Amino acid sequence: MDIRDLTIKKFHEGLVNKQFSVFEITKAFFNYIKEKDSRINAYLRLTEDSALSRANKVDIELAEGKNLGILAGIPLAIKDNILIEGELATAGSKILENYRASYDATVIKKLKKSGAVFLGKTNMDEFAMGSSTENSAFKITKNPHDLERVPGGSSGGSAAAVASDMAVAALGSDTGGSIRQPAGFCGVVGLKPTYGAVSRNGLIAMASSLDQIGPITKTVEDAGILFEAIKGKDELDATSATNSEFRIQNSELQDIRKLKIGLPKEYFAGGLIKEVEEAIEEAIKNLKSLKIEFKEISLPHTKYALSCYYIIMPAEVSANLARFDGVRYARLSDAKLRIHANAANKSELLNIYLKTRGEGFGDEAKRRIILGTFVLSSGYYDAYYSKAQKVRRLIKEDFDKAFEEVDVILTPVSPTPAFKIGEKTDDPLQMYLSDIFTIPVNLAGLPALSIPVNPKPKTQNLKPNLPVGFQLIGKPFREVDILGIGQYYEKIIE
Amino acid sequence: MLINKKTLEHLVELSRIELDKKSEEKLLGDLQKILGHFEELEGVDTENVEPIAGGTELKNVFREDESNVSCQMSNVKIVEAFPEKENGFLKVPPIFQNNE
Repeated sequence: MDIRDLTIKKFHEGLVNKQFSVFEITKAFFNYIKEKDSRINAYLRLTEDSALSRANKVDIELAEGKNLGILAGIPLAIKDNILIEGELATAGSKILENYRASYDATVIKKLKKSGAVFLGKTNMDEFAMGSSTENSAFKITKNPHDLERVPGGSSGGSAAAVASDMAVAALGSDTGGSIRQPAGFCGVVGLKPTYGAVSRNGLIAMASSLDQIGPITKTVEDAGILFEAIKGKDELDATSATNSEFRIQNSELQDIRKLKIGLPKEYFAGGLIKEVEEAIEEAIKNLKSLKIEFKEISLPHTKYALSCYYIIMPAEVSANLARFDGVRYARLSDAKLRIHANAANKSELLNIYLKTRGEGFGDEAKRRIILGTFVLSSGYYDAYYSKAQKVRRLIKEDFDKAFEEVDVILTPVSPTPAFKIGEKTDDPLQMYLSDIFTIPVNLAGLPALSIPVNPKPKTQNLKPNLPVGFQLIGKPFREVDILGIGQYYEKIIE
Repeated sequence: MLINKKTLEHLVELSRIELDKKSEEKLLGDLQKILGHFEELEGVDTENVEPIAGGTELKNVFREDESNVSCQMSNVKIVEAFPEKENGFLKVPPIFQNNE
């Protein structure tokens, strides 16, 4: 059994057929990670002891003949902004360097119940703010397809872990593209569920009206399996919804053929580089071979989405990150703080705030907190925040109108494939532009799936081309449509 | 309506973030560029458009004002996570001090 070939589906079959025990395969994953991750840097830390003891438990249950579900024993990687009780959860930030979670996120609680095993916590841009994972306070993650390039972000660690076979699947979070863009850059599948489909309880909040947790996997089928396990109403998240339909396992080709796919002309109007344009054309051609009907549509407010997002998101960030004050969560060493406490003509408490936040947050977090404070401040609120909320409605209404004509919308995931490490770190606006195709989906609260146009090239000697992904956007709570089309897409290119 | 040095200093104070002069200069440049990009929104006609706070139009969720035991975490675990504590309470530095 080569662990590199394992998907959730294959792992489950192997386990049922007693080809391996969960304990021995978990051990094999840790050996593989230890050999490989020094080059990739996908993980911030491993949770080996708890993983092996969970693995053992699943083996015992299996021996007792207990009916184990599809996720039993599956080795998963978890983004470090998702809480696992007793484990560190830094969200990639120095300010939470020593923060240990006091409870399980709802998604973790659900996965524990289904017997999944957590290998470790993955690297990410600080508080999920970034598109390259270079904003992590701890390390730079490399793209497994080209070590000089970024894996995308902010769930870059999770995407790189799955793409380099250091986990069977992973969880990420997506506020403006943070699951889909790294999945696209790393040649794996990423699903951003409908806002409210998955509980956000236990996700370290960045922008609460946009954040969603979702799966990063090797196949669309796996994304469906993991999504099904984590979705659902949760009394600990008042924005979680009850109406998420899910019956992907039963999607028949004849049902898929009834779906009409829209191509929004605004997403294709210039700006696409050749590699991406060709890849998207290939994806469309492949889908047309399934006899799915395509139609050109218009989403006229698309070009305003980036500005709208970079007003609304920082506004929410400035409020959400106010809680990191050096008093309630982990803080800088006391000795360090005391020195400064009475240095200036300020109160001790104020100095603790200033020092903790000044030293604890990285540049991007600071930029967004201050930008958010600005757009919410008196005198600027109407011109920026209120205006952006109105534009957000127009963007959402564009989608509502488009979905009267079509069932699913196809777009590129990103304007370019993975860029070089360091290429965009000095220019925040350039970095922001790499999310231009994923952001509107979050503003409108829709589900969207990022799928590699070509499956991961297995050739080791021949340098493979960089992966390019395409995005399928669905109607609210219609994950079933995009996953269904995605599954049939995978069958064509197999 | 761009941001100037004085506004930035005020924002930095409101945000409770200490910045050195060099980072402040870089930040001012970045913010001016980003806010410059936002000017495109002035061209969008939003008359009679109601603002929305989220993509899915959620309704308020009401419940009785009663504690729900199943939602409660162990108090001990929360106290354990405090950076400084005394007798099960979160220890906070003095808020009122003698300021002549």
